[in-house]
Amino acid sequence: MNAIQAKLEAIRNQYMEALVKADGSESLQALRVRYLGKKGELTQLLRSLGGLPPEERPMAGQALNELRQEVEASLERQAVLLAHAEDEAMEASDRVDVTLPPRGRGWGAFHPVVQTMNEIIDIFVGMGFSVAYGPEIEDDFHNFEALNIPPHHPARDMQDTFYLNSGKLLRTHTSPVEVRSMLKWGAPLRIIIPGKVYRRDSDQTHSPMFHQLEGLLIDEDVSLADLKGCLNTFVGAIFGRPLDSRFRASHFPFTEPSLEMDVECFACSGRNPACRICKGTGWLEILGCGMTHPNVLRYGGIDPDRYNGFAWGMGPDRVAMLKYGLTDLRVLFEGHGSFLTGGGY
Amino acid sequence: MQISWNWLNEYCRIPLSPEEAAARLTVTGCEVEDIHRPCEALRDLKVARIERLAAHPERPDLFVADLDTGGGQSRCVTAARNLKSGDWVPYGGPGSVIADGTVLGRRDFDSIVSEGMMLSAEEIGLPGIADEFGILRLPQGFSAGEDLVKALKLDDCILEVSITPNRGDLLSLIGLARECLGVIPGSSLKPADMGGPSIGGNWPLPWDGLCLEDPGCPLYGLSLAPSVRIEPSPMRTRIRLAFSGVRSINNVVDATNLVMLVTGQPLHAFDLDRLPAREITVRGAKEGERFTTLDSREHVLTDADLLITSGGVPVALAGIMGGENSEITADTKSVAFESAYFEPLRVSRTARRLGMGTEASYRFSRGVDPSRVLPTLSFLSNYLLGETGQRVEKEVRVARTRTWEKRRVALTRKKLHRVLLWDNMKEASSFLERLGLKEVGGSEERLEFEIPTARADLSIEEDLIEEVGRVRGYELVPSRIPPLLRGNGKVGDEVEAHRRIRITAMSRGYLEVVTYSFIHPRWTEWLRIPESDPRCHGFPLANPISQDQSVMRTTLLPGLLQALQTNIRSGWKDPIRLFEVGRVFLPAEKEGDEHREILRMAGIAWNGRDRRGLYDNSMKDDLLSVKADVLSLCQSRGLVPEFCAGREPFGHIGQTARIALDGEPSGYLMSLKPGILRELEIPGPLFAFEVDIESMLPDRGFRFGQVVRFPAVYRDISLIASLGTTVASVEQEIRALGGPLLRGAVLFDVYQGKGIPEGTRSLAFSLAYGDPSRTLRDQEVDEVHDALRRNLAEKGFILR
Ligand SMILES: [Zn+2]
Repeated sequence: MNAIQAKLEAIRNQYMEALVKADGSESLQALRVRYLGKKGELTQLLRSLGGLPPEERPMAGQALNELRQEVEASLERQAVLLAHAEDEAMEASDRVDVTLPPRGRGWGAFHPVVQTMNEIIDIFVGMGFSVAYGPEIEDDFHNFEALNIPPHHPARDMQDTFYLNSGKLLRTHTSPVEVRSMLKWGAPLRIIIPGKVYRRDSDQTHSPMFHQLEGLLIDEDVSLADLKGCLNTFVGAIFGRPLDSRFRASHFPFTEPSLEMDVECFACSGRNPACRICKGTGWLEILGCGMTHPNVLRYGGIDPDRYNGFAWGMGPDRVAMLKYGLTDLRVLFEGHGSFLTGGGY
Repeated sequence: MQISWNWLNEYCRIPLSPEEAAARLTVTGCEVEDIHRPCEALRDLKVARIERLAAHPERPDLFVADLDTGGGQSRCVTAARNLKSGDWVPYGGPGSVIADGTVLGRRDFDSIVSEGMMLSAEEIGLPGIADEFGILRLPQGFSAGEDLVKALKLDDCILEVSITPNRGDLLSLIGLARECLGVIPGSSLKPADMGGPSIGGNWPLPWDGLCLEDPGCPLYGLSLAPSVRIEPSPMRTRIRLAFSGVRSINNVVDATNLVMLVTGQPLHAFDLDRLPAREITVRGAKEGERFTTLDSREHVLTDADLLITSGGVPVALAGIMGGENSEITADTKSVAFESAYFEPLRVSRTARRLGMGTEASYRFSRGVDPSRVLPTLSFLSNYLLGETGQRVEKEVRVARTRTWEKRRVALTRKKLHRVLLWDNMKEASSFLERLGLKEVGGSEERLEFEIPTARADLSIEEDLIEEVGRVRGYELVPSRIPPLLRGNGKVGDEVEAHRRIRITAMSRGYLEVVTYSFIHPRWTEWLRIPESDPRCHGFPLANPISQDQSVMRTTLLPGLLQALQTNIRSGWKDPIRLFEVGRVFLPAEKEGDEHREILRMAGIAWNGRDRRGLYDNSMKDDLLSVKADVLSLCQSRGLVPEFCAGREPFGHIGQTARIALDGEPSGYLMSLKPGILRELEIPGPLFAFEVDIESMLPDRGFRFGQVVRFPAVYRDISLIASLGTTVASVEQEIRALGGPLLRGAVLFDVYQGKGIPEGTRSLAFSLAYGDPSRTLRDQEVDEVHDALRRNLAEKGFILR
């Protein structure tokens, strides 16, 4: 080993020792000046290379250069490491307790019936039904007569009606929109009618205002099989799995035949005699339906010899109550924050 | 309606358990809501005979009875005063169980031990069969020690049946028996004994006639029991009535009720001696005529009502209730029984108007079987003679203005198949025959049926299809989804808009509520809405349930405020925001027009009270934070609302804005008047908005902006304007005067006070200048900005 090599080795050792001690960007800068600056040790050594015998020069030059590069690179690496450490120290001292409450407005809350109504709408839109609306203040003709419920008919006892002084009334069902839609669009027709309806009745399971969602399909050659298919599909979709259903004979003035649809209790499937939801029957009454009465088609301006159809009416309030396990219907219309938010913010 | 299972089985033998039969009846349309056994709890009760009855030696209020209980003797102590030696009584010995579940034992009454007790009607579970106060005395004919439940046939079960209004025929045992035959395979009918009565002939007392003056009564029959004794009904009748939920009154009234339960034909009994004349005329009431029914209520009648009169005096409200003036009393000696057909709609109308739903009006409203009107009188006389020993004259007086043809309805294979996807005409016909219809001809493609007069509900082919469908079972109809031949369904603008709005509101922290469409009438007053405001004129309900739900809302605000009050009253203290989308109901704008139903959205924001939170001050809502909500809600449907200072009767004078959409006035944003807050007991402030959203319904699509690639250059401007000059107008001036390079102006400071003349404020805006095609040079911007300053100064603003 010649003298220059020994010298380089000494400088390197000395530099490495200093580098380890460098604790900030300033000390790094000082190191840079000391070794790589105009008067730095390596710079001076480079100038002294001219005094070497020509055959030693290339080797010494290369060794010197390598050391220069090593210093350069290690200074840079150290600078990055130091900056990183400084950042981390600063971050550590600027800590936020992430379990503190959030600032700003949170999500509000949805109303169970409006939500359910929207879900039901989507299910039927998927089966080709379009949404139709009509007035909530109705006349006797659309609410009763055109639905095959003549004046003084005992069927009117089933629906205790609110009247206005003008003789108009608050619709007792969404069915008047069936007639209005038939008159407006004619056949074929596939509509669903969501909306508010009113009956003079108030207790835990009756509210003087509640919701209905009614559907009507009119076409050529419609069968009860079509009605069963649509409604079974709906039930499976709204409760999240296919449920057994049964259709019982019933009576509505505006359908013939008339049926009521019960679905398998989604909570117990009839296996729990003490079930709170189905009261042990295994069935949940879910909606009324039937084949549209020919008189109703006639009132709607549709030829019952050419077209027939089916209709159903259900209570989204009840569906929502089943879906969300609610027991008091009236709570739905009181706007309790504790109820809507699931117990408070 | 309550149906005794045993009694029903006397008319139709049903090879099923009550539960199985109930399930079948329910599925085929006659809903059995409940099954119960009223005497289920009874254990080991017996019939006993009182051998000897004596006063208690120590206690003057008690008696001691020695009973023959069949196998032996028992001694009972009783306080009842209606007993005598030789009476037959129900008896429960020690260890037996009575109706309320009590297990009887021995009890010492001042040194005399009572072994169990003699029982009252209530103690055997049938309070209604008591005919006197005290222990139930049984008729003769039993033997001592006989099982009481068997002896009295108490081992029965009651079906609670709910009959749909079209099936008046099911409001009778005979009708239900026919239905069971039709829907329960294997059942067999045992027809009631209903021979036709003999019409005309003589009565043993003078009678002047029957006259039908009103088409509302086309058939009227009257039979006569010339000498009756009014007494309690026989035990069997009292038990049957009790099981049917009918109160026992006396033998005559009970007879009419019992016969009605069997045949479905309501009967009425007149005290013949109290009829004003020996004649009956059925006529329409005169407008304003008054009549007192036997429940002592006086009614004012209209000419739509139908009356039974005698000698010109009303004696019954036809088909609904008899009069006080001819009611059966304890002294009645002779009775005339009425059996008639009254037009359903006439009875229904009067009964509804007068609020008199009786067993009779219920059946007449749903239509009784005209062919059963007169045979029912024979059934009645058989019953009275057979069960009570009261004789009824064979001859019946009848007046009639109409006859009933049996209707014919055809069933076609084509329609049957269309609805049920099934067309076995032979089977269909056999279903219908079991229900009492008669096939009277036709072909394989089209069969004609004769409809029994009891089934007024069957008049068109669809009715027959329903009969076939329900008997055959709807579970046999397949299930299929109709093909989408007519294209896809549409959610439509209203649903789309509503969805967008509600999602936006919820994301901004609002709770979605649905409140009642009818409100308390005084809300207009509480909100200080003047007469001149259309919102003061909500439609009142003619027949509300309660006052606080009696007027249709004209604004959504009351519902939201009421919901907030409900929350506050139940202790809610946190900040809360509520919103609702719903209709309000306003009178027509001009005479002759329809009323208006307008879809609105509304919200309220309340900052809570007495509640501490970490960010309280920075999180409190104010008019402008709620303004941001309104803006977002409108923008979610592609509309930018304009706000300008305005008035609302319930709005804080200094904090109320009118909202315009597309330049049309559409609603308000305001802080509720402090006075109203005080009156409603809502700790203020409260911010609210309400906007018509009809104009938001059509989807406007969305127009995207140009991409900006060259950065803007910013300059500030600060000016002094009078307090009356709105920020919007200053901003508008700046935009108008700023030239084409002005890209935007953002207000960043408002100052008022020291250093600024009184009545003015300083407004500072940050202005952005830019050109879409290049970066502007500072010098260019300075020139434009200086020009703007000069122009503003010329408009009278003081620039700083
Ligand atoms: Zn269940």
